[in-house]
Amino acid sequence: MDQTIICRCEEVSLEDIQQTASRYNCSAREVKLRTRAGMGYCGGRTCRPAVDAVLEAVTGERAGHDIPLKVQPPVRPVSLSVLGGESR
Amino acid sequence: MTNRIVNHPVLGELTNQTSVTFTFDGQTYEGFEGDTIASALLANGIRQLRVHEGTGAPRAIYCNIGHCFECRVTVNDTQIVRACMTPIQQQMVIESGKMQPAPFKASPEEWPRTYAEFEKMNEHHKEGVPHG
Repeated sequence: MDQTIICRCEEVSLEDIQQTASRYNCSAREVKLRTRAGMGYCGGRTCRPAVDAVLEAVTGERAGHDIPLKVQPPVRPVSLSVLGGESR
Repeated sequence: MTNRIVNHPVLGELTNQTSVTFTFDGQTYEGFEGDTIASALLANGIRQLRVHEGTGAPRAIYCNIGHCFECRVTVNDTQIVRACMTPIQQQMVIESGKMQPAPFKASPEEWPRTYAEFEKMNEHHKEGVPHG
């Protein structure tokens, strides 16, 4: 169970996040920077709720908007060619 | 053609499909017009679309709605194409995602000092983990 992958892009397990969160008493942003969970290709759009839930269970910090694990625009990652230029 | 529902209680029988030929990692397969890359490969029994770039762990369809990018493959030399969102086309050349070299993971003492050493370290990364 602890080996369950939470962030598939960066391959971060539940165990990694739990240990990091409890050892450093992390904020959501800090756990992201320490483990790289939510920093992969999908931009954290897949694992963010799970990371937030693990943090709430370990540190009691509720996912807020003060120092968020932000989802950056654009809503979907697109290649630059979609915005214009080379058609490929 | 395996793994397809050819007789569905509501949708009826699967008939009059136009066949499409494509290659995946050099192997030739057949799908149907209207398939996505992912569904065409799944119908051929291929579930693994890539490996994790760093660890080589197998990856396949995850969300299947274009959200998670877990199924990204290389199509006709264009990298990072979502297999779950891209309709299959005749003569498409699809390559699975391979492991990337990570030469600077170890301690500095183990870093390569010359390019020859760097190449030697990464020889085993070139093919990645075979699928199937």
